[in-house]
Amino acid sequence: MSLDIHITQLASPAGDLLRGLHIHVPAGKVHTLMGPSGCGKSSVLAAVCGTLDPGMLWDGRVTLHGQRIESLPVQARRVGLLFQDDLLFAHMTVRENLLFAVPAGERQARERAVEAALDDVEMREFLHANPAGLSGGQRARVALARALLAQPRCLLLDEPFSKLDAALRGRMRALVFGLVARRAIPALLVTHDLADVADPQHLTRLDTGGAL
Amino acid sequence: MPVARLSRLLVPLALLLLVAGPLLWAVGSTVPFGMQAPAWTTLLQHPQTWPALGMTIWTGLSATLLATGITACILARWLAATGTAQGLDKWARWMSPLLSVPHAAFAIGMVALLAPGGWLLRLISPWPSGLESPPAWATTQDPWGLGLIAVLVLKEVPFLLWAALAYVQQPGVQAQLRQSLRLAATWGYSDAQAWWRIGWPQLVRHLTAPLLAVLAYSLTVVDMALVIGPTAPPTLSVLAWQWLQDADPAINAQGASAAWLLAAVLLGCAGALVAWRAWPLWRQRQVRGVTLAQHAVTERKPDAVSAPLVTLLGVYAAVLAALAAGSVSGPWPFPALLPEVWTLHAWEGVLRSSRTVWITLGLGLLSAATALAWVVAWLEWAPLDWQRRMRPVWMLPLVLPAVLWVVGLHRLSLAWGLDGQAAGLWLAHTLSALPYVLIALQGPYGGVDPRLQQVSAALGRSRAAFLWQVKWPLLRSALAAALAVGFAVSVAQYLPTLYVGAGRFQTVTTEAVTLASGGQRALTAAFAWLQWLLPMLMFGLAAWWGRPRRWPAAAQ
Repeated sequence: MSLDIHITQLASPAGDLLRGLHIHVPAGKVHTLMGPSGCGKSSVLAAVCGTLDPGMLWDGRVTLHGQRIESLPVQARRVGLLFQDDLLFAHMTVRENLLFAVPAGERQARERAVEAALDDVEMREFLHANPAGLSGGQRARVALARALLAQPRCLLLDEPFSKLDAALRGRMRALVFGLVARRAIPALLVTHDLADVADPQHLTRLDTGGAL
Repeated sequence: MPVARLSRLLVPLALLLLVAGPLLWAVGSTVPFGMQAPAWTTLLQHPQTWPALGMTIWTGLSATLLATGITACILARWLAATGTAQGLDKWARWMSPLLSVPHAAFAIGMVALLAPGGWLLRLISPWPSGLESPPAWATTQDPWGLGLIAVLVLKEVPFLLWAALAYVQQPGVQAQLRQSLRLAATWGYSDAQAWWRIGWPQLVRHLTAPLLAVLAYSLTVVDMALVIGPTAPPTLSVLAWQWLQDADPAINAQGASAAWLLAAVLLGCAGALVAWRAWPLWRQRQVRGVTLAQHAVTERKPDAVSAPLVTLLGVYAAVLAALAAGSVSGPWPFPALLPEVWTLHAWEGVLRSSRTVWITLGLGLLSAATALAWVVAWLEWAPLDWQRRMRPVWMLPLVLPAVLWVVGLHRLSLAWGLDGQAAGLWLAHTLSALPYVLIALQGPYGGVDPRLQQVSAALGRSRAAFLWQVKWPLLRSALAAALAVGFAVSVAQYLPTLYVGAGRFQTVTTEAVTLASGGQRALTAAFAWLQWLLPMLMFGLAAWWGRPRRWPAAAQ
């Protein structure tokens, strides 16, 4: 149960971003990617997720639990995605946002899955809430619950704590890292904040111009 | 090219051909018809051509410049006073009912207000004006084109405000604009200096398309000019329209040449407009070189801010009231303020022509829905560089002189066997509504955060699920508004209905404009009022359907 990323080359129309990047993320671990803006951190996440801009070029392979996924459509990769913005669907309640992520199945089972996911992030009482009425931290927790409800085989985190205040950031970090460990899935985290690094053994620093 | 990429391009290619085919065919067909040497010789030697051209340039440019200046002044006040996005939303909401008033109906209503026997003079007669009978004043169809200019300005200001607010309401734009203005204030610029040197140049860059549309409309309008424009000489568009209606093919060709001459003038004026637009950008670069006026930043009173909107609303309300009163009036001798007899006779006449109303409704709904479906598909599936490159082509119906565009549509319908057919009318109305629907929708559609689709796909959901459950519901308000815009454009179509319909299809607009030249005041007013009422109802429905979700108190 691991995520392996081998990027031979990653380039934007302006030129090379990365060459020869290899990352191995064991199950239950959070691997951190750090580096200055524009060095290609988020592009690595997009390459893993399958959402790289059409103008970008990349060559390499992504292996998730032994399966090559780089040529699969995004929907089939089963990777969870969290951005710095929660990106909750504004016209849906918390429950509807979460139901959107639950795979098709029996209605009551899906409802139970939603309630359990909200229990995981301590948000059960907000089941029928309007997302716009929640605080930033509450919205972030709902977004995490939604990402996990789709039963992802890995989690991609693009600066998900950067918009939270310091106290909230610590709690959210503990919650995410705890859930990753509990579900035994690999996670890749992009951040500018050293405090976000879960384990220095699992840290890759990128530099501009493709150097590692 | 890989097969997968090719298959992805098939849908946008089909969409492109579907509209570009008839559109370019229509435009292209006007070239041989309007480029005959004898027709040009006759046109250039015709005694009315040059005075009409002069009148066109005078009325068109004056209306465009005045409308732009007034819009800039109103925006400066609003932005200085409205602290929140919700505040601007409020102003934007007021623009829709004003936009829904068709040009021809507005012109007919203005005539009812401004004519020597109109309400304005009745209001001050016999005291204090001393008038006992309508004076022989040229208050409408005046030889200087002032009535036409006034009506164009009053009609185009709400459109420019709506376009500007649509841009300002995009995420981050308002905040950036305000920050620039505050920054300028810290440098010592007065509010007015900051606006004209920093704020307006930033904004006007994004208003090129609406400004060009206003210029094109003002220079080439036919229906409004027929109702309230000068007659000796008329504008060139009216002259071209008269020639195109002639039974003699040689005179028809002369009309087509006049339409091309109008297109050339429009091109020249558009070039001048683009150059003028570049001027404030140049001035912006010179900003550090000017003497600073040390003014304190003052807060504007709400009354001062509301005044332009209240004035605009007042004029529109007066126009609609004049039409409403006119439609139920019997004998109404001057200077009585109200009719002696109220009667529903005109509305009974409208009821007797219910086929006209049903044709208008059906045609409007069908064309608007078709245009909306195409625009959504294009924005969703066409690559962004295709969208950028094809935009000028889609705008052709908007920027071409109406008389030239209708010549193309007519020749298209003749060549494709659609002349006088409902299908031809549907195609003509759809092509005419399409650029407006595109303008109304492309901002909101492009404003949807692309990461929402990434999140949806990462959750394992298909593109169809994302579109039906997330993206289109989020855009419900914009989609409804775009449909209403398309409907309003279709209802207002005069020349295409007349030409492509070959006189077999009457709509409320063709009836209203035709009646305006006759003496049936009440029936004219009733049809003009209906011409406003139908789009207004559609805008109302769109606002209701697109309203934000109501959350129960517990969900807040």
